[in-house]
Amino acid sequence: MDIQFDMTRPLPETQPWSKPFWEGTKQGKLLIQHCRDCNANIFYPRKVCPECWSKNMDWIMAGGKAKVYMFSTAYDMVEPKFMADLPYTLAYVNLEEGIRMMTRIVECDPTDIHIDMEVEVVFHKLNDEFYLPYFRPVKK
Amino acid sequence: MSNSNLAIIGIGEVPTRIMPERTRWDILYDVCMEAIRDSGLDKNDIEAVINVAPQAQPKLAAELSFGKLPEELGLKGCKDTCVCNAGGASTSNCIRLAEQYIASGIAKAVLIPHVTVHSTIPLEEQINFFAKAGVDMQWEYPFGTTYNILMGMMANRYMHETGAKPEHMASVVTALRSWATKDPNSFFYQKKVPTPQMVMESPLLNTPFHKRESNILGDGGSAMVVVSAQDAGRMNKPVAYKLGESVRYFSGTPVLRDFYKVAEGFSVTAREAMAEAGVTKDDISLWNIYMAYPMNHPIMAEALGVAPIGEGAKYFAEGRMSFGGDIPWSTIGDAPGRGHTGSGVSTAMYVETARQIMGKAGERQVKECRYVFQNTAGGSGFNNIATVWGKEI
Repeated sequence: MDIQFDMTRPLPETQPWSKPFWEGTKQGKLLIQHCRDCNANIFYPRKVCPECWSKNMDWIMAGGKAKVYMFSTAYDMVEPKFMADLPYTLAYVNLEEGIRMMTRIVECDPTDIHIDMEVEVVFHKLNDEFYLPYFRPVKK
Repeated sequence: MSNSNLAIIGIGEVPTRIMPERTRWDILYDVCMEAIRDSGLDKNDIEAVINVAPQAQPKLAAELSFGKLPEELGLKGCKDTCVCNAGGASTSNCIRLAEQYIASGIAKAVLIPHVTVHSTIPLEEQINFFAKAGVDMQWEYPFGTTYNILMGMMANRYMHETGAKPEHMASVVTALRSWATKDPNSFFYQKKVPTPQMVMESPLLNTPFHKRESNILGDGGSAMVVVSAQDAGRMNKPVAYKLGESVRYFSGTPVLRDFYKVAEGFSVTAREAMAEAGVTKDDISLWNIYMAYPMNHPIMAEALGVAPIGEGAKYFAEGRMSFGGDIPWSTIGDAPGRGHTGSGVSTAMYVETARQIMGKAGERQVKECRYVFQNTAGGSGFNNIATVWGKEI
């Protein structure tokens, strides 16, 4: 049986209010949405502040440092479009700015990754428009 | 005092298998007719049909949404029909909607069916559906998510928090499969129960998750007939009364779902559902837990107070939740034992809850099964719905 898999690398499906985030990653900046009224740092970006419904929103630049909250390293059974990347590690990381995001942990042996590991952002090019924020271990 | 006024009076089910020759409508006919016959009602007494949304089966979803089932089955008394979708929590919402139909006088008896046939869905569509369902298409999917990876992350965190060992986690599969091998409707009926060692020796898919800890996608279906508690009480037959319910929403996007908030949500909803039912955890005869993945069962066991904090996995390793153990638990083996039928696993869990209370569970029958705690959850775990069911009001 000849199965035709869609091998197209998925790009982030953006909303108008999230475009500054992706413009930022393209320029090597990790931007976090910030509410000017209630001072909340927001991830993921929303049309209005999810805390107070303010539209008075801004962006701050994150320091790019985080700690691994949870992770799992994939060795098999991912979509065919991601098979060439195996093994890869997905993680939730807690940024110093108080937000949590999904990412990949790169530039290390997957077996060295552990919870609370200190990591820093690095930007991975998908195409000319999109750079995903990945994280790598902080060099001591 | 229960706020509910509903009872399950009839159940129907077909074995979960990989059987592409058994069509979706084939299964729907069988489970609906069996449930109606089991209820003791005439087919024309069914006044509404609320379908559990079939996942990844758009043609069938459209047929059911647009009213085909009552016509196929010749339900001459049917006044209305619809489809209800909340992923794995669909069945819970079908039951809630049925309560509303009954309370408002739209219907006295409601049929709630489900069917899934995975084996005729093209493989690429199956893979793509389960890769995208319940994850965010902007903030998660582009990184290469799968359900297995999401659950693996949570399991890693749990093991970090509690010191649970891989062999403890693997023993959950052994426990679930020990029930499934006794269940004629389960995919692993009469199949050898893997030891924790066998689970750990199967290929590692993603840490700490092995192939034997994942789900087999199966074809299956089940159905139930529900009426008001008063009408059920007049039927002079074993029925399952809904006694209590509670729910918490966590998040639609997994990365926003905090580990501790989820565990607390499991605990709070259980307390509230049992309080509404007027029972305590010591009264519960069966913990019919739906987690879809084995790794989350220890977290639930601890949240329920069935196992001490940090010892949920050890309880499974000691065999306490296995067939023959002292804590009857997920007696169809949850999705890892039953076979995964999309949103239908939770339907099957409700059918099993009713079956146990009605005393019709055969070899798996829990002795003196008076109260059953059952939960469901939708998507990748956006919520937790806790319910308590009993033999009498």
